[in-house]
Amino acid sequence: MKKYIFALLFLLPLTLFANLNIAVTYPYIGALTKAIGGEKVDTVVLAKGNWDPHFVVPRPSLIAKVRDADALIMNGGQLEIGWLPPLIDRASNPKIATNAKTFLDLSQHVELLQKPASVDRSGGDVHPDGNPHFHLDPNNILILAGTVKEFLISIDSQNSAVYEKNYAHFSDMWNKKLEMWKSKMADKNALKVVQYHNVMAYFNHAYGLTSIATIEPLPGIPPSSKHTMELIELIKKEKPCCILHDVYHDTKTAEFISEKTGIKVVIMPHDIGALDTIEDLVSLFDYLTSAIK
Amino acid sequence: MKKIVIFTALCATLTFATEHEHEHGGSFEQSKFIPDISLIVDTGYVHRNVSNTELEKSAPTSNYGNYGTFKEFNTNNGFNLNYAEMMLHSNVDQAFELDGIFHYGTESVEIEEAYFTTKALPYSLKVKGGKFKSDFGRLNSQHAHVWDFADAPLVYNSFLSPEGINAPGVQFQWLAPTPWYMKLGFEAMQKGNGGTFANDFDKKDGEPLYVGYLKNSFDIKDASVLLGVSYANGVSNIKNAVSAAPIYKGNSEVYGADLSVKNYFNSYSFINWQSELLYRDMKSDDVTIGKDKKQSGYYTQIVYQMDENWKAGLRYEDFLQDSYGAKTTLNASYKTSEFAQLRLQYSHDETFKMYGNNKAIDEIILQLTFAIGAHGAHSF
Ligand SMILES: [Zn+2]
Repeated sequence: MKKYIFALLFLLPLTLFANLNIAVTYPYIGALTKAIGGEKVDTVVLAKGNWDPHFVVPRPSLIAKVRDADALIMNGGQLEIGWLPPLIDRASNPKIATNAKTFLDLSQHVELLQKPASVDRSGGDVHPDGNPHFHLDPNNILILAGTVKEFLISIDSQNSAVYEKNYAHFSDMWNKKLEMWKSKMADKNALKVVQYHNVMAYFNHAYGLTSIATIEPLPGIPPSSKHTMELIELIKKEKPCCILHDVYHDTKTAEFISEKTGIKVVIMPHDIGALDTIEDLVSLFDYLTSAIK
Repeated sequence: MKKIVIFTALCATLTFATEHEHEHGGSFEQSKFIPDISLIVDTGYVHRNVSNTELEKSAPTSNYGNYGTFKEFNTNNGFNLNYAEMMLHSNVDQAFELDGIFHYGTESVEIEEAYFTTKALPYSLKVKGGKFKSDFGRLNSQHAHVWDFADAPLVYNSFLSPEGINAPGVQFQWLAPTPWYMKLGFEAMQKGNGGTFANDFDKKDGEPLYVGYLKNSFDIKDASVLLGVSYANGVSNIKNAVSAAPIYKGNSEVYGADLSVKNYFNSYSFINWQSELLYRDMKSDDVTIGKDKKQSGYYTQIVYQMDENWKAGLRYEDFLQDSYGAKTTLNASYKTSEFAQLRLQYSHDETFKMYGNNKAIDEIILQLTFAIGAHGAHSF
C-alpha cells in the first residue's frame, strides 16, 4: 500500500501532461467525444450500449470510474435520473458536479421534441422535459459534435486547434453521410410505424416517419393484453409498415402482434454496441437507414 | 403534535410558493428553488398465529434486555399504517447539499435524518453531519422502502435496534484511488442508539459511539461483488424496558462482515445473493449488574428479480450463540410501476420465547408501498 502511494505521488506531476479523462454516460457520447477530442482525451463510458438506457445499473464500480474523471458529459433530459445522481453524489469528485464547468448536459443544446404541457404519473413514467432520445436524429449528431467541441475548448483551450481541426474533419464526413442517408430514406417519407417505446422519435422526425402507437401502453409500463388487443385492431386499420423494436425489451409481444397482423418486426439499435455490428456512429445510422425495407 | 403543525405549515408554504408564482407574473418568483420533495407511504395487513399481547410478552432471544415485540413496522395483527416518509433534498450552495427525511407515524413525527453533505472537497473526501443513518454494514443506511423484505434481519434489530444506528454525529468518507471501488469511512456519533449502544441510565457527557468501515466492489462480467467490513465501538448503559432496572453497563463492540454477489441478466432482471455476519462483544464494567456477553448472528438471502414487475426473495437467519431456532422468510412482490409495490411475505420464526417457552411465530404480511414526487434513484 505504501509503495502504491509513493508511486502515485511520483506519477502526479506526469498527470499534468496526461490526456483529459472524460466520463460519458452513453456509448454514442463516447464516440463523439473521441471524434472531437482525438488523441487528447481518454473516454470512459458508463452505460452498456445493448441495455436499456433508462435502466442503467448503478453499480459501485461505476463510482470508481467517475471518481478521477476530469469531466462528465451526459445525455440529460432526465434519461439518467434513475442512476446517475447517486454516482455523482458518491464519487466525491467536484469536477463532475452539475454546477462545474467540466460538466456538460447535452440536452441543453438541442431542441427537444414532445415536451409535455403537463406531467402526471398516471400517464406513465413520462420524460418531463421532452423526449430525451435526440441523438437518433443524425442532424442532431452534428449539433452535438459542435457542443462537445466548444466544451472541450472551454476546459482545455491549449488544444483548441486540435479540437477545431477534428471537428472540421468530422463535420465534413458527417455532412456527406447525411446526404447519403437522406437519399436512402427519401422513399420512406410519411411511412407509418409502431414502436415499443418512443425511442425513435427523432429518427422518425428526421425522415418523416409517423409513429402511430407504442406496444407499451404508457411510457415505462410493460405491455398489457388489453392494450395489445387494441393495438392489433389499430394496426389492421392504419396499416403501418412495421414495428420498430429496441434490442433490450423482449420481442415476445411484438412477435405476437406480427403473427396476428402480418406486419414485420424491425430491430432498431439505439446506440453503439446495441448489436455486435454497430461499432461506431456511422455504422449505427448506416444500419438504421437500411433497416426498414 | 407541535411538530405536525410545523411540517404541515412547511408544506403549505411550499404549495403557496407554487401558486404565488402565477399571481405575480414571476418577477419575484421563488418556486424554482423548491427542493426535491417526495412522499413515501407504507401500509400493511398482518396476520400471525399469536395475538398482539402475546407477541408483546415474548422476548427475542438475542437481545440483552427486553425490547418487546422487536419490530418497528407491521406490529399489529390487522391493518397497519407503518409510516409516511417525507423527503426534502436540495443543494444549499456550491459547497453543501442538505437532506431532510421526516418520518410520520400515526401519532408522532420524527426527524429520521437531517444532514448536510459536502460537495466540493478535494482528494475524494466527503463529510456529512447532522442526524443520519450510519453506513455500518450493508443495510443500516438503507431506508425501509428499499429493503428486499418487509422487515429487517433479526441480528440488525437485535444488535443495532429496529431504528439502526441513527444519531447526531459526523461522518468522513474517502474513496481510495484504486482501480476497483474502495470506500473507507469513519463516524463519530452521539450514543443513545436504542440497541447495544443505549444510554438509558448513568448518563455522562460526551461518550461518543465510533463507527468505521471499509467497502469494496468490483465486477466480474455482469456480476457485481460487494465486500465490506464494519466496526462499532461505544459505551452501553442498558436498562430493562419494563422494570427500568439496569441490566448492563460497559463497553460494547460490534463487528460486521458482508458479502453480496449481484448478477444482472439484462436491464430488468437480476439475482442477488447477500449475506451478513454480525458479532457483538460486550465487556461489563460491573458484573453485579450484567455479565460479559459474546454473541453473533447472520442472515443470508437470495433475491430474484424476474422482470420489471416481479421479484421474489428467500431469507434464512439465525444466531450462533443462545439460539432457540432460525427464521425463514419468503416473499414475492409485484410493481405496477417504479412507484408502487405490492408485497406478500410469509415468515416462520423460531427465535422467540413466549411466557418463557419457545413459540414459533408464523406471520403473513401484505405490504403496499407508494412513492410520489421527485424520482428517487434506483437502489443497488
Ligand atoms: Zn425514453
